[in-house]
Amino acid sequence: MFLEIEGLSMQFGGLSAVKDVSIKIDEGEIHGLIGPNGSGKTTTFNVVSGYYKPSGGKITFERKNITGLPAYRITAAGFARTFQNLRLFKSMTVLENVLVGMGHHAKAGLWQQILNPIAVRREERAFVEKAMRLLDLLGIAKLAEYPATSLSYGHQRRVEIARALGTDPRILLLDEPAAGLNDIESVDLRETLVKIRESGVTIFLIEHDMKLVMGMCDIITVLDYGRKIAEGSCEHISNDPVVIEAYLGKEEQL
Amino acid sequence: MSNQAAGLTKRNLSIAKAVALAVIGCVLLALPFIAQNRYQVHVINTAGIYILISLGLNIAMGYAGQFNLAMGALWGVGAYTAAILNTRFGIPFWLNLPAAMVAAGLMGAIVGLPSFKVRSHYLAIVTIGLGEVINIILVNEQRLTGGADGISRIRMPSFFGVPINTDERYYYLILVVVLLGFFVARQILKHRIGRSFRAIRDDYQAAKAMGVNTAYYQILAFVISAAYAGAAGALFAHLNTYISPDIFEFSSTLFIMTVTMVGGMGSLAGSIVGGLALPILQEYLRVIRNWQLVAYGVAIMVVVLFIPGGVMELMRRLRGSPMLRQFSAQRHAEERFEPEEPNVSGN
Amino acid sequence: MNIGIFLQTIIGGIGIGSLYALIALGYSMVYRSMGLVNFAQGSIYMVGTYFGIIWYAGMVMGLHVPYPVALLVGILLNAMLGVLLERIFRPLAKLDLMFMLLGTIGLGFVLDNLFVIIFGAEGFAVTSPLPNAPLVIFGIRILPQMLLLIGGSALLMLGLQVFLKRTRSGKAMRASAMDNEIASTMGIPVNRMNAMTLAIGSGLAAAAGILAAPIVYVNPAMGSAVGLKGFAAAILGGLGSIPGAIVGGLVFGVLEAVSAGYISSSYTRGIAFLVMVIVLMVKPSGIVGEVTVEKV
Repeated sequence: MFLEIEGLSMQFGGLSAVKDVSIKIDEGEIHGLIGPNGSGKTTTFNVVSGYYKPSGGKITFERKNITGLPAYRITAAGFARTFQNLRLFKSMTVLENVLVGMGHHAKAGLWQQILNPIAVRREERAFVEKAMRLLDLLGIAKLAEYPATSLSYGHQRRVEIARALGTDPRILLLDEPAAGLNDIESVDLRETLVKIRESGVTIFLIEHDMKLVMGMCDIITVLDYGRKIAEGSCEHISNDPVVIEAYLGKEEQL
Repeated sequence: MSNQAAGLTKRNLSIAKAVALAVIGCVLLALPFIAQNRYQVHVINTAGIYILISLGLNIAMGYAGQFNLAMGALWGVGAYTAAILNTRFGIPFWLNLPAAMVAAGLMGAIVGLPSFKVRSHYLAIVTIGLGEVINIILVNEQRLTGGADGISRIRMPSFFGVPINTDERYYYLILVVVLLGFFVARQILKHRIGRSFRAIRDDYQAAKAMGVNTAYYQILAFVISAAYAGAAGALFAHLNTYISPDIFEFSSTLFIMTVTMVGGMGSLAGSIVGGLALPILQEYLRVIRNWQLVAYGVAIMVVVLFIPGGVMELMRRLRGSPMLRQFSAQRHAEERFEPEEPNVSGN
Repeated sequence: MNIGIFLQTIIGGIGIGSLYALIALGYSMVYRSMGLVNFAQGSIYMVGTYFGIIWYAGMVMGLHVPYPVALLVGILLNAMLGVLLERIFRPLAKLDLMFMLLGTIGLGFVLDNLFVIIFGAEGFAVTSPLPNAPLVIFGIRILPQMLLLIGGSALLMLGLQVFLKRTRSGKAMRASAMDNEIASTMGIPVNRMNAMTLAIGSGLAAAAGILAAPIVYVNPAMGSAVGLKGFAAAILGGLGSIPGAIVGGLVFGVLEAVSAGYISSSYTRGIAFLVMVIVLMVKPSGIVGEVTVEKV
């Protein structure tokens, strides 16, 4: 049992953003979370990744109860996430951005950094190699030395993903990874995500781009007004009248 | 340009750099002899002390984005620690220096604790407030600190029997400590620690999401900056042989902030530039003190509005290289401009 | 413990607290409408005091203008200064906090030292327009001037509330402060609103200084200490909140007075600051609560 979200609820003042949502994700899955705007998808992510303490419910990851833990501990437990509106580190290059995530594996402490620079440099080299491999996986190895925010939107998205992968996660939470990408870039993204899954990372993603979601997700959970209204494979979801109603009711297109 | 010519130019550049370094090195070594009188050397010594504090502030604020506005008070903690140990217990400078750093570092950790709960302008006022509290304690604890009268008759250090009792000799001591401070700072800011600092500064939440232990690094930034202030305090106490609490008031923190910002916040070299320029300017414009301060204020506003990266940014702009805007002075700046893409063949 | 003395101390605290409150209002209003933390507020307070007192104290051509007129003149002149300052603050408001702070501090420096050049660093004492003999109300001795300070401040704060809630300009100001963009799409000139806010903030600071002048010593350095405390008071109450500024100011003043009277006069300043730090650790948004300024 990999990731289990049980009866999750999140209230902001009087507003119930997420109500009694339960999702089970198996290891190695690519699990999609969709729903009309305002259905509570990002809030769910924010709770799972530790930004909010849930008002109710339980989250278990690999048998450990991670409900309400702060973000840093959740990352240490093996979660990584990207953000809907990119949050790259503005003052750093692409490579440096990716390296940030690896910091918590570092063995060399402060004193070592001052007094034993050689050991630190060795460790650093290993990190850089790993980072370059990740950048390569995302197809942007050549951009390593560029200031991260000087790249195109699509490339910056990839840096975000590479950076998240740098923390060596077991599960990757992607918040609208295809937002703002054109068709070609979306296809590239899909291929990349498949590669990531093959490397052993489970993927949990929020998306609006139906083509992407239908094309690659094993299981899809649908939220509406903070509640789960459907869950299943792509065919099942795309034919589910409840889902269609929810989307048509909001004048969205499937 | 042919390859050969290009290679030659590169070699010329590095030769030029080496020569420049050598010249600077010689000047630094010979400075007390080049100077016209003892007073000038004293001014430079004072500048050196300010450079040291500024390095600390730069680490905490420029690199880690933490508002440590208690620097003046922490400088005072270092100075008083050294002074008390020396005048009460006869402990020599060489032990006072690390002691001052430890004492200031501990205070720095306390000052930094609120950084977990409060952000930006709140953290600013909290650190200012804590700095004020420290200053008030320094003024009021008569028995310990001599109160408003301060502590006098601090003994100047001696090095293996050679007394360092002149400005000229003290200069070399300060030179060594500042150089050490600079290189240690550079080393600390490399690799993981520097990156974590910058991540916290650039985007606190994202840093947490990437597993950075923000609490640890925040306190670390405060402690390191405080240690630098502490070292500067010990140097100051033993140089001037007399200290009083008014030296370390909030205005000193403002001065150090000005030094750092004008030199270039976020750039260690900026601390050196600012730390040299401002104290020296201040000394020589002392005569027209009040107009000087007005000019000061105007200069600060000009820097803030037009050259936020200080002198270092100015130099970069003149050289034509775009600054990797470490600080976007613009709030919430969306720095997404699209330059031509590099040649990426396929994916 | 002598109840009489205690009450006297409290009243003294309310007096000085009213001063802090008026200054804190300037901080909070400007922060709320422009997102700017104005570290020159203390200097503006000093300038405003001079703007009024010089007419009253015979420093301009030997004129001894009646006190209420001097008060009015000071407020008006300082309000005009506020309008001028809006142009400088406009670019500053867009900057990151560090630069904004230093920029306003620089401005404060300029003002402080210009006035040292003009008036000299020595200050002077101001004779009270009211008789000096303390009034005795219910056995408590109160200086008439203190009563004037408290009463005058209360009136001003009341006037401010009325202005903001009842008049069109006031409501426009509040709308502009809540959301600059929406307000401007509704035809509200945001810059003019900001100028008005600064004018009011500066005017209040001038009033504070002129009302307090007979109690406090007037000199060009009077701004920095009060400025810092005013800011701390604004934060204590919740930056951006108008009731917060008033509460914060009064609490700060009373804390100072009580600790000066009962604990130790030398630690006075420290205790007020310490309490502020503690309050912030417990409730980071201040006593009444911060009004967050989203400037995206």
